Amino acid sequence: MTFVLPVGPQHPSLKEPEFFRFEVKGEEIVDVDIRLGYAHRGIEEAFSRRNYKHNVYLAERICGICNVVHSTTYCQTIEQLAGIEPPERAKYIRTIIMELERIHSHLLWLGVAAHQIGFDTLFMLAWRDREEVMDMRELISGGRVHSATNTIGGVRRNVKLEHIPEMLRRLDKLEKSTGYYADLWGSDRTILARCSKVGVLSKDDAVKFCAVGPVARASNLKLDIRRNDPYGTYEALSFDVVTESEGDVWARGTVRLREILESIRIVRQALHELPSGPLRVPVELKIPPNETLERTEAPRGELVYYARSNGTETPERIRVRTPTYGNFASMKSMFIGGTVAEIPIVMWSIDPCFGCNDRATILDARTGKVSVVNFKQLKRWRR
Amino acid sequence: MIEVLNFFLNSLVFPGLLFASLVGLLYIGVDRKVTAHMQNRIGPPIWQEYLDFGKLMGKEDITPRAAQSVLFNAAPLIALGAVVTVMLLLPVASPQPALTAVADLIVIIYLLNIPAICLMIGGYSSGGPFGSVGAARHAVQLFGYEFAFIVSIIAVIVRVGSLDISAVVGYQAQRGWILLDWRLVPALIAMFIGAQGKLLRVPFDIPEAESEIVHGPLTEYSGPKLAIWRLVYDIETLVIAGFIVALFLGGPVTHTIGGAQVPGVVDFLIKTFLIVLVTTVVRNIMARLRIDQALKFYWTFGAFLAILSLVFVLVVP
Repeated sequence: MTFVLPVGPQHPSLKEPEFFRFEVKGEEIVDVDIRLGYAHRGIEEAFSRRNYKHNVYLAERICGICNVVHSTTYCQTIEQLAGIEPPERAKYIRTIIMELERIHSHLLWLGVAAHQIGFDTLFMLAWRDREEVMDMRELISGGRVHSATNTIGGVRRNVKLEHIPEMLRRLDKLEKSTGYYADLWGSDRTILARCSKVGVLSKDDAVKFCAVGPVARASNLKLDIRRNDPYGTYEALSFDVVTESEGDVWARGTVRLREILESIRIVRQALHELPSGPLRVPVELKIPPNETLERTEAPRGELVYYARSNGTETPERIRVRTPTYGNFASMKSMFIGGTVAEIPIVMWSIDPCFGCNDRATILDARTGKVSVVNFKQLKRWRR
Repeated sequence: MIEVLNFFLNSLVFPGLLFASLVGLLYIGVDRKVTAHMQNRIGPPIWQEYLDFGKLMGKEDITPRAAQSVLFNAAPLIALGAVVTVMLLLPVASPQPALTAVADLIVIIYLLNIPAICLMIGGYSSGGPFGSVGAARHAVQLFGYEFAFIVSIIAVIVRVGSLDISAVVGYQAQRGWILLDWRLVPALIAMFIGAQGKLLRVPFDIPEAESEIVHGPLTEYSGPKLAIWRLVYDIETLVIAGFIVALFLGGPVTHTIGGAQVPGVVDFLIKTFLIVLVTTVVRNIMARLRIDQALKFYWTFGAFLAILSLVFVLVVP
């Protein structure tokens, strides 16, 4: 006999509302149904009602954790649309902030993952060290989470010379503690018992379900937009694309922890090679009709922005595809066959960000019913 | 008349309900503070549990419609009764328990299981999936830790040659603590592992794993009933620590320091406090196991240690 175990929309293992309907047989998961749309905020529609400058702030608010990568991708998209090139220094500053964001996002992941497997001490310690990154970001931009650094055509804030020694010192400290966590992640018996061989996503499945980011890299897919389709300054910087072959939760954690170390390397290089020059170039905001697609590597994976302009100051359409959305398809194969105890950690292992994810959902507000819309209906609605 | 008065005094004041609640709540307060410091936090004040208990007691008593049954309401009270009764059967102030010649170790083992069974009944009767899953996990876990726990007690019983807890304390007063007997050290470790599971502490907090099944059997409890469950849990912590003290650490001993007599209860409090600290440290340096892993651990490692001790006691004179 199976019974339904609801996880969400309100549940302690979810940080944001989303609904997972698990069918369980005792402790074993037989089936899972994922229903999205609880955090829908209508942002894509809002994009096409504001001008390009205002949209920078809107893009930044799609996701709190990865706000810089959202605004950077948006700015890069619009710069491509308008055919302008930001100055070199601006690109380096973007890289520094984006990599700091990756560190902070991955440390946040580590903390919550530890909490999901009941290791609250590691949770607290990981978040203590995350403060270092937040402080560094505060040094540069004045904001610990939302940096508001990007603008179309460059950046608004500078990395000052006197900040560099302070940042290098904090990076050293961070490198030491991350190394310790990486050791712990690979050696603590209870962590290994809970994470290793759990929620396995094979390489074939990862390809089939189009997994992105650390989830794909943990399944031995060498997939990193920074390397495959370089943007900004990444071509000039040296770093490794971290991969693991196990494809389980443990491998996803290891990939993230090793990526923190790579990010520290990138920030150091960028700080050393920081070129001088202007911070931004002036932009004409009436962009002639054009369309473009831009992708970047967010902490959670590939982030895609599509934009179409129509000669006015507002974009005609902006479409955002977030990494969490790309990883939902692979979730089902991770869950089925596992146990209830694995739900939180497997769910968290893709580092879901539902706030990012829910922007394009059809919802019937009058009846409150959720119905599946087929292609025929969709075509009829279009007319 | 005096006897009846004494009985009520014992069960309601010392070492019964009032004493046990005050000490139990304080211990868990300290546990939370120590946990906070280990986690680089400041944490709540050590009297936070009193405040929490008072606040929960003052809340409205709500029972979900699906859970409205005598069982659901009675479960916390029966559990409270059981743990307070164990307090009366433990040597707290002197080698003699408050209720003498009434019950032996077997009864204590039974009574120590009642809170777990009440928790299961509460979970199953709560009418929610989290409660049922939590109760099912607790049932499985019970069959894991109980074996190691009971076999280590049997090892002590065989060593002492009596089922009476005051005889165990008396034996240790003459021949030194059982803790110092190498044959019984594995039993002590098994006992600690069992206690960690009995008290639902990491790595064995599986039945109430908050990130998986909200609060397990306690999910649907709120207000005064939840307060009583908290009280049961806190007293249970004290009771199990006291039980380990009586079996392995010589029970309450009256010391004389510089001519002044320190009553046995102080000794009892210090020893139980140390045991609570050990469990606190363990719960903060590990992740939670899965139920099948926990069961496997109990039936291999825990049971092995307990049986090893029993064999030593039986074979080595």
